[in-house]
Amino acid sequence: MIVFIARRLVISFFVLLAATVIMFVLTALSGDPLEDLRQDNSPNRAAKIADRTERMQLDDPIPVRYLSWLGNVVRGDLGVNRDGHDVAIILGDALSATLQLVVAATVMAIIIGIVIGIVSALRQYSGFDYTVTFAAFICFSLPLFWVAVMLKQYMAIEFNNWLKDPSIPPTVIGALALLGGLVFGALTAGDRKRRLLSFAVGFAVTAALFTLLSVTRWFADPGFGLPLILAISLAAAVGFTVLSAGLNPRGPLYAALGAAVLGALASEVLRSVLADPTWLEIIGLALVTVAVCAGLGYALGGLQRRQAITAAVLTGLFTGGVIFVDRMLQAFNGYSAAVRGRPISTIGARTPNFEGDFWQMNLDSASHLLLPSMALILISLATYTRYSRASMLEVMNQDYVRTARAKGLPERTVVVKHAFRNGLIPITTLMAVDFAGVIGGAVVTETVFGWEGMGKMFITALHDVDPTPVMAFFIVTGTAIVVFNMIADILYAYLDPRIRLS
Amino acid sequence: MTTPPNVPIEPHAVDPHAYDNAAHLVDSAEEVHVGLTLDAVRPPSQEEILRVENLTVEFPTEDGVVHAVRGVSYTVREREVLGIVGESGSGKSVSSLAVMGLLPRSARVKGRILFRGDDMLKMSPRKQRGLRGRKLAMVFQDPMTALNPVHTIGDQLAEAVLAHELMPRKIALARAKEMLDLVGIPQAESRLRSYPHEFSGGMRQRAMIAMAVINNPDVIIADEPTTALDVTVQAQILEKLLEVKDAVNAAIVLITHDLGVIAGMAHRVLVMYAGRPVELGETDPVFEKPRMPYTAGLLGSIPSLDKDSGSARLRPIKGTPPSLINLPTGCPFSPRCPLATDICRTEEPPLAETDSGGHFAACHHWDRLAAAEDPTEFFRTESETVA
Amino acid sequence: MTLNAQAKGPGASADSQGMTIVARTQGQMVRRRFFRHRAALAGMLVFGFVIVLAFSSIGFAGIPGWWDKSYLDTGSLVNQGRPTLSVVPGFLGGEGFRFGEHPFGQDDLGIDYFALTMRGAQQSLIVALIVGVVATTVGTVVGAVAGYFRKGAEAVLMRLTDVMITIPVLIIAAVVGQMTGKSGAVALGIFLGLVLWPTLGRLVRGEFLSLREKEFVEAARAAGTSAKRIIFRHILPNTVGVIIVAATLSVANAVLLESALSFLGFGIQPPDTSLGQLINRYRSAMTVRPWLFWWPGIFIIAIALSINFIGDGLRDAFDPRQTRVRA
Ligand SMILES: Nc1ncnc2c1ncn2[C@@H]1O[C@H](COP(=O)(O)OP(=O)(O)OP(=O)(O)O)[C@@H](O)[C@H]1O
Ligand code: SF4
Ligand SMILES: [Mg+2]
Repeated sequence: MIVFIARRLVISFFVLLAATVIMFVLTALSGDPLEDLRQDNSPNRAAKIADRTERMQLDDPIPVRYLSWLGNVVRGDLGVNRDGHDVAIILGDALSATLQLVVAATVMAIIIGIVIGIVSALRQYSGFDYTVTFAAFICFSLPLFWVAVMLKQYMAIEFNNWLKDPSIPPTVIGALALLGGLVFGALTAGDRKRRLLSFAVGFAVTAALFTLLSVTRWFADPGFGLPLILAISLAAAVGFTVLSAGLNPRGPLYAALGAAVLGALASEVLRSVLADPTWLEIIGLALVTVAVCAGLGYALGGLQRRQAITAAVLTGLFTGGVIFVDRMLQAFNGYSAAVRGRPISTIGARTPNFEGDFWQMNLDSASHLLLPSMALILISLATYTRYSRASMLEVMNQDYVRTARAKGLPERTVVVKHAFRNGLIPITTLMAVDFAGVIGGAVVTETVFGWEGMGKMFITALHDVDPTPVMAFFIVTGTAIVVFNMIADILYAYLDPRIRLS
Repeated sequence: MTTPPNVPIEPHAVDPHAYDNAAHLVDSAEEVHVGLTLDAVRPPSQEEILRVENLTVEFPTEDGVVHAVRGVSYTVREREVLGIVGESGSGKSVSSLAVMGLLPRSARVKGRILFRGDDMLKMSPRKQRGLRGRKLAMVFQDPMTALNPVHTIGDQLAEAVLAHELMPRKIALARAKEMLDLVGIPQAESRLRSYPHEFSGGMRQRAMIAMAVINNPDVIIADEPTTALDVTVQAQILEKLLEVKDAVNAAIVLITHDLGVIAGMAHRVLVMYAGRPVELGETDPVFEKPRMPYTAGLLGSIPSLDKDSGSARLRPIKGTPPSLINLPTGCPFSPRCPLATDICRTEEPPLAETDSGGHFAACHHWDRLAAAEDPTEFFRTESETVA
Repeated sequence: MTLNAQAKGPGASADSQGMTIVARTQGQMVRRRFFRHRAALAGMLVFGFVIVLAFSSIGFAGIPGWWDKSYLDTGSLVNQGRPTLSVVPGFLGGEGFRFGEHPFGQDDLGIDYFALTMRGAQQSLIVALIVGVVATTVGTVVGAVAGYFRKGAEAVLMRLTDVMITIPVLIIAAVVGQMTGKSGAVALGIFLGLVLWPTLGRLVRGEFLSLREKEFVEAARAAGTSAKRIIFRHILPNTVGVIIVAATLSVANAVLLESALSFLGFGIQPPDTSLGQLINRYRSAMTVRPWLFWWPGIFIIAIALSINFIGDGLRDAFDPRQTRVRA
């Protein structure tokens, strides 16, 4: 494995190097860096031109400029832009905000996309499948910037207005309930009667939920509270057990339920720690959760120890996530007041000069990330959905899936263990390609949402025909892409034993 | 700016010989000699374990309804080997998959499939799953694709046990090792940790057989278990199948294109044509006195089974099997049958007993066949006539 | 003694499913499947309609169209520039179908927005179609050479695509756009095509790689057929499906790419226009004159969506594995 990674690293390095040549040369050739000065009428025009020519080495041929840039980079110096500002400093803040956006969008797109894709493959030719397919086509055809502007207008501005008086009108509740019913109905396999029944259930559940949220004015002061946390976690425990082990025998189920209860109780016990934690503490808690849940699974799993450990650990982490979200929601009220009642932000990556506790700070960046990621996710989401659907359909038709069925394995095992695992393999290849697309998309979304991010730096520099910031942008994104590619490759090798040995 | 995923498109070079039966039927340069014969294994009992009654399978497709299986009935007794032969597309696999409950959801299955008296088509899915892999096992045609490439052999064997019986994984793995020993895979212990791609084709098929018998099934359905293999290992695999069957006391439904294998390995044989059973009976009577021209044609289209006769003339059946969407009226074989008369083209002959001892055939003119000295003579080629 | 020769190897059962339709030629099958794909048909109609509308309305290349207003002339604002188009029929309480003076409204300078949108659509379509043609041609040639002869060409193609994969498409396209956007739609299209071909090239190479090992190609080679003939007569016909589908989808992507570039200011430069540039130009008018934002957006979506559907229809039509079940 080490050799594999090392070899990939060396290759990636040279690939990246070659890419810098292309980018540098093309950027340098893309226009006249002195254009604005040539139209300048100020008296010291000649001096300015000489100055910039000197700084950008415009008298040297492009290869020489490239080599001198490369020499600087090797020494850890990203250079200055055409006005003499240090690029590394401009990059500073922009970097983390952009990477956060890109990674958050990618991870969400992967998870949601794969889940939707698989469900729609397993329910091929159902109403759900057709709807997802159609929606995916719409997403493929949406101009990202257009969506971003729309989101900004309707999601942020109107939603913020609505938050002032968060009651949901009955017609909206009706529409949402209808939607819920349709989703339930479309997801159900079987005859008309069963589908109608689940439509009714879906309708009733959604209607009840939103009526409750509206009447209690939940959106004004959101949060779950212990009973709800417990209920969600217990439901998740059952879900994870069904997926990983099945409900019979009971061992794994008890382990998962135990993990849910322990987690919910821990949120009360650890009240003081959770009041204003650091990221380090959160990670520490996550590790403890994994250890405790693994122990729980080991102890209660019986003959299905492995599955029990999986179910318990997943449940534990999920419960942790629910508690995390709950804390953030509880911070909402204070945060909302701090930003004058407009919590969904449309500009920038964080509220300037905002100071709050851990939860409020997180809420702040989350609310800034929300809309850009939503816009950014759309296209990737559609890609992952379509791709995992196709991949899953392909795999479900494979002989080895038939073999698995012929052994008498339950459908859950057939899908999760035999189909899903194989269906993921081609998706890893997609991850690498898609990530580059998301970075391109980030440039667009940042522009729409006015982030002082790397995208802005790139666009300004390119307009100015200024290679140094463009290259700084490229080195960061290119490295990110190479790293992501490598993760995808390692994942591939992990998923497919045929690669490991050759 | 991501590209929508490209579902790869299979290039469709139409192979000009794909449906040319005359060409493939005589492709038989090499023979499979099964060393172990039926005489060496325990004889079947009279107890009937599997009974298929009037099974029909249809697939609705965009081009129309495919009538893949039309009224197949047969029984399998304890420890019996039932051979099923027929041209490609005659519904052999589909009928066996129906028995296993492995057809795609779109398939419309009718009839009855009785396992020890219980109708599997009426069982709850859970109960049906309980039989699958435990009482009824299947060995597929292509061992290269039938094993999951991402899980170890040991894991795939052990999971077959664990699907039906709760036990520690260790014991299931020990069981798996025993089975690998039984099917003759050397160093079974370490082979448990191998992945399918580390096995040769023959070894994979052995592993598949091990997987099929790991729960001591009552019936093993083997769908062309050797066609994808090298001729040199075909005989070994078939021998192994017989040996293993004897070890676990199972019956076998053996699907094959190879009449020689049927002659050496099957107690009884079912001949299928265009989704219909056209002849059924004890192997020897069927091969010696075929009562349906298609069977006779099959026998004539291979190098003689009977070495002594010395006649090595090959008489391929001309023409192609009918479309399963627009079936001709009357006997489906009539467009290719040298004995066909008007009644053949209007009335489909039922499967009826022609000789005592359970020999059935579906042909209006079986008596003409019976009267002929050499039943294959009707398929005499023109060159022969000239000579 | 084996009866069987054809059911060997994987896919044998899939092949035998083709049995019943073998009598039809491949072209007929493809056409039949395509025309059964309703979304693709609708896509064809919409796409055709947009093309005809865009080019016939304001005319093209000096030929006048049937719409009398120019996308360059400013004018006085009628009814604050609101659209006069009405499509809701009278019996539904609307005003019946009416085109009116300024069907898509006017911008703040009084320019007729219908004419402007049509001009934008023309430019966007030209760029996208040229990108499709250039990228497909180059990609196919390089992919074919790399896949068939392998050796040098293959190494070059593979390394090049490796390199291109580390540069996000939008980024390289922005650089190219900055370089050529001023020179107009045709130049922009050609240069974008020249940087966008590697994906397609890799796809074609893959097809060639698998086809060159097939029996019928080996047979042709053994018979001494020239490489040119094998490529054009034996392999290429079997890859048209893949190429056509990929080409179609690349056009859809190019529409979106061009609009994104123009939005960022790296595409078609004023005074000429494109759909993306219109959205950018009137972004701040969103709250006062939302139609300035809606029309170009709708056209981009209509074009991209219809091409995507056409591509999907073609994919289904060329893919023989899917004998779709009417469950
Ligand atoms: N899922 C399906 N949808 C539509 N038609 C199908 C499907 N599965 C099988 N068929 C059709 O059913 C017919 C019988 O196929 P089957 O696989 O049983 O033939 P076979 O006798 O096993 O042939 P072979 O010797 O090639 O294995 C074929 O014409 C095939 O095209
Ligand atoms: S019924 Fe007629 S056509 Fe059919 S096999 Fe018998 S003789 Fe031939
Ligand atoms: Mg078969």
